[in-house]
Amino acid sequence: MDVRFKVGADAISLDETGLKFDINDFDAWAVEAALQLREKNAGSEVTAISLGPDVVQETIRKALSMGADRGVQLKADKVPFDGLAIATALAAELKTGGYDLILFGKMSPDSSNGVVGPMTAELLALPCVTAISSLAIEGGKGTAKRELEGAQEIVEFQLPAVLTVDEGLNTARYPSLKGIMAAKKKPLDVKPAQLPTPQVTVRKLELPPERKAGRIIGEGATAVPELIRLLQSEAKVL
Amino acid sequence: MTDNSGVVLPSRHQAPLPVDRLILTGPPDAEAVPMDVLFVGGGPAGLAGAIELANLVRRDAEAGGTLGDVQIGVLEKAGALGEHSLSGAVINPVAMRELFPDLKDGDFPFRGPVTGERVYLLTGGRSFRVPTPPTMQNHGYYVASLCEVVRWLGEKAEAAGVNIFTGFPAASLLTEGSRVTGVRTTPTGLARTGEPGSGYTPPTDITAQITILAEGTRGALSQAYLEWQKVPSENPQIFALGVKEIWETKKPLDAVVHTLGWPVPLDAFGGSFMYPLAPNLVGLGLVVGLDYKKTTTDVHEMLQRLKLHPLFKPYLEGGEMVEWGAKTIPEGGYYALAKRRHGEGVMIVGDSAGYVEVASLKGIHYAMQSGMFAARAAFAALKTGNASSASLSRYDEMVNGSFITNDLYRRRNMRLAFQKHGFFVGGIMASLMTVTGGRFPGGKIESETDAHVSRMAAKSESIIPDGKLTFSKLDAVFKSGNATRDDIPSHLLLGPDVAPEVAELYTHMCPAGVYERDGERLVVSPANCVDCKATDVIGPRWTPREGGSGPKYRQM
Amino acid sequence: MANVFAFVESRGSELRKVGLEAVTAARTLADDSGGGEVHAMVLGPTGIAGKAQQIAQYGADVMLVVEHADLANYSPEVATATAAERIKAGGYRGAIFSTSAQGRDLAPRVAARLGVSVVTDVLSFEVDGEAIIVRHPINIGKVIATLAISGKPAVIAMRPNVISPAQNAKAGRVENVPPAIDPKSARVIVKETKQGTSGKLDLAEAPVVIAGGRGLKVAENFKLVEELAAAFGNAAVGATRAVTDDGWRPHSDQIGQTGRLVSPELYIAVGISGAVQHLAGMRTSKTIVAINKDKDAPIFKIADYGLVGDVFEIIPALTAAVREAKKHH
Repeated sequence: MDVRFKVGADAISLDETGLKFDINDFDAWAVEAALQLREKNAGSEVTAISLGPDVVQETIRKALSMGADRGVQLKADKVPFDGLAIATALAAELKTGGYDLILFGKMSPDSSNGVVGPMTAELLALPCVTAISSLAIEGGKGTAKRELEGAQEIVEFQLPAVLTVDEGLNTARYPSLKGIMAAKKKPLDVKPAQLPTPQVTVRKLELPPERKAGRIIGEGATAVPELIRLLQSEAKVL
Repeated sequence: MTDNSGVVLPSRHQAPLPVDRLILTGPPDAEAVPMDVLFVGGGPAGLAGAIELANLVRRDAEAGGTLGDVQIGVLEKAGALGEHSLSGAVINPVAMRELFPDLKDGDFPFRGPVTGERVYLLTGGRSFRVPTPPTMQNHGYYVASLCEVVRWLGEKAEAAGVNIFTGFPAASLLTEGSRVTGVRTTPTGLARTGEPGSGYTPPTDITAQITILAEGTRGALSQAYLEWQKVPSENPQIFALGVKEIWETKKPLDAVVHTLGWPVPLDAFGGSFMYPLAPNLVGLGLVVGLDYKKTTTDVHEMLQRLKLHPLFKPYLEGGEMVEWGAKTIPEGGYYALAKRRHGEGVMIVGDSAGYVEVASLKGIHYAMQSGMFAARAAFAALKTGNASSASLSRYDEMVNGSFITNDLYRRRNMRLAFQKHGFFVGGIMASLMTVTGGRFPGGKIESETDAHVSRMAAKSESIIPDGKLTFSKLDAVFKSGNATRDDIPSHLLLGPDVAPEVAELYTHMCPAGVYERDGERLVVSPANCVDCKATDVIGPRWTPREGGSGPKYRQM
Repeated sequence: MANVFAFVESRGSELRKVGLEAVTAARTLADDSGGGEVHAMVLGPTGIAGKAQQIAQYGADVMLVVEHADLANYSPEVATATAAERIKAGGYRGAIFSTSAQGRDLAPRVAARLGVSVVTDVLSFEVDGEAIIVRHPINIGKVIATLAISGKPAVIAMRPNVISPAQNAKAGRVENVPPAIDPKSARVIVKETKQGTSGKLDLAEAPVVIAGGRGLKVAENFKLVEELAAAFGNAAVGATRAVTDDGWRPHSDQIGQTGRLVSPELYIAVGISGAVQHLAGMRTSKTIVAINKDKDAPIFKIADYGLVGDVFEIIPALTAAVREAKKHH
């Protein structure tokens, strides 16, 4: 949990030594949602697609272990920060796939940008609902819930559609031992990613200033006035 | 319950080993996953064994053998390989060389050769360099991070076609008569109440012709098997607890350093180590026998104190503690080895079998070598279609004819002298034993389990952590990477009569702050547990819990 | 000289604070680009035009008002089409959105339609010749990236609260813009926007969170925490797992790894020692206050302000002091 990141010597990439790569929660929930829909719709198939270097094969294998039917790696030496570039490469792969539903996690924790899903939807000219926390699909139409700041939206949409998944939609299953064994035999296609020239480039990475060490401002109730003063004048939260 | 003199006997408050939960007699589930050979535990012993077996099977196939497809599985309770692996470590590369004859030492995932070594005797404020005892000489060996070694072995095993299942602790042995037929994993996604929660995955049965227990220190299934089959040993196994930290430092360390004496009290057996991992990275730790004599002896706290000593502080000051971990070490040596480490369809290897030589603080090469011996016995058994106890007894023969048993035999009484005679007399006896190759004092020094050593209630002298050089147990757990789901059922079995003095013992015994004495009562935070197993030795029993729980060590 | 587009978020017929922040950000970008106009678009139901002057107060030169009876709820497809069409026609240097649930939905769609990229959760920006340089946290805030956006317009979504809406009154002319597509023809339709239950603030939303731990000793003492929350007026009450396990509070109040994740402006930990699993749920709070009798409790390490002592003495005193402070506000 206490993952410490280190900026690499080039100052524009992270030092990945000792970091463990795994599917992120949003993506795991997206895979889970797809698997649940497949279970309800006999004859349907789930494909897991990821763009990046060979380490993403592990992520795809995880999805296959959970139950996805096949995997596609869009191979790129590096994942660009530019969400449009990623969406362009994904759209090129997805447009011929005949998918009824394309699910994304709402954002990758790495870039923390959260734009690839809706951008891909636009490029494919598909209806899109982002950050859903509930989903029901019936007869070519879907209903989803989105959490807003202090409110919720109930959204109806037509299929085929692109959805991005937020917390609360489901609990992702753990891959079973049988699933892990089966995943080894499932197809995983590797294709080059058709990435355009990025429009966003990383100039610099840095670690945020450390949270400044806390200070004990006093003991007992006599320190309360000082706390009030600090909350008002320094932290400006009162 | 304590007697009037404030003496706590840990065994009196300990729940019995839940053998009925750990050994199952019914048939395996119809949906069981079949393996041919299953290694329980993905540490150096299990992985070296799996690689050796895969190599034997491959060579056999190349030579026209008729074994066909052999499924080799490795079950690991950690979420990823290496995350529960912790050692000093200075590694004797002998087993690595044998396992990878085509590689050179430089190809192994070691941090660097030992270029110098120093041993000190410490007092509270001073250090005295002493000649390096012959048992502690490390020339020709390598400093390494066991996590890295294990991850590397895992890659080799996968490349050799081994099925590695991480995040799957084995909860029970499946048995038929006296034969071990496989294991059952723990379920995942239980709610606090023990009922299936959201994301529940039921246990999976894995059957195997041969099950090799490579669980590491104080393995639950290994213990249960030996108890169930009533396999005796001359002496009971005894344990030490090691607490280790990794520091990014400003000042480089040029040698492996060991210390004896302070802050370990005279009535306890222990010492410290500090090893260079990189020019700006050191691993340091303190190892103390769990047969210490006071309820308030606290290894984590002693390590915190140690760092303030003038021998250590200059290296650490201005640096940063980046990782923390703890693990027990089986220290019983030769006389604590079970009479047999094999049975019908089963073998026990590595730390689970007790292959650790205390005087040199070494176990990794024994673990790997024993895994490889087990692989050879398993291969022979597969070839003949005979996984009986008689067939697998080849494993014990190989171990007994090797440097493993020989090394342990030569130092057979060294550790025991300390339990019996304390630091000074024990220390002198140990020196004599070294000189005489273990012939002094002749015979066997008797020992008792750590839980049967009584502890005097004492006053606690807690250190106040400064958050820079010294850390509380909660901070420490954070640095272990432990992010165990905090709503799984408790995996710790509390015994009877946990009086305040007993709670005090548990509070100090556990380096991860699982136990906290709150006035008269004991507060238990099972999610803090880093699977060091100290609790299983002298406190509440440890049982396998949900996969992926516990620490996430990276460089330990 | 370059004009800048701002999207002013609304809910129902009310402007949202983040919308005004977008206008202020756009004003800054226009000024930094050598001066230019800010064109601010707002969509909403009949009557939203009445908010145009409020937008002008924050520095918009032109208010692009998209008023339609069917826009009481957010319509992603109408907003995307209308904003994209206008931005394309306007030749803007930049287009500013908000990193809110709506802004995260809209900004990437608009950018994709314009064939440019987008950066969300922007902490700050500056003009560097042809590029716009932004700062954006990555890896869940553990690393800050400085990024150069070369596309035009530069589409950025500002993180809430990093820019305060600043009064900068302009005359502001209103331009009525029809929706680019018929809201009824949209393939994605928001049927309903349910406001959160009023009165009780949600933990994830409340600007102030007061959380209690085992240090409160017994369930009844939680009323001290509730009283402190009431004194703030904008505070929600949370608890540690130990407390919810003991049944003093419902499980929905639990803050931590397996409970709620909160990131309020002010977090006050009362009688909480600071287990890893609890810290995981609140460590990103802006200001953290810890009150605990044990001065070595780990919570003090991450607290900005620590008070050591008896919570039963300190909390009532703090409650009274907060009440007093609020009175003079």
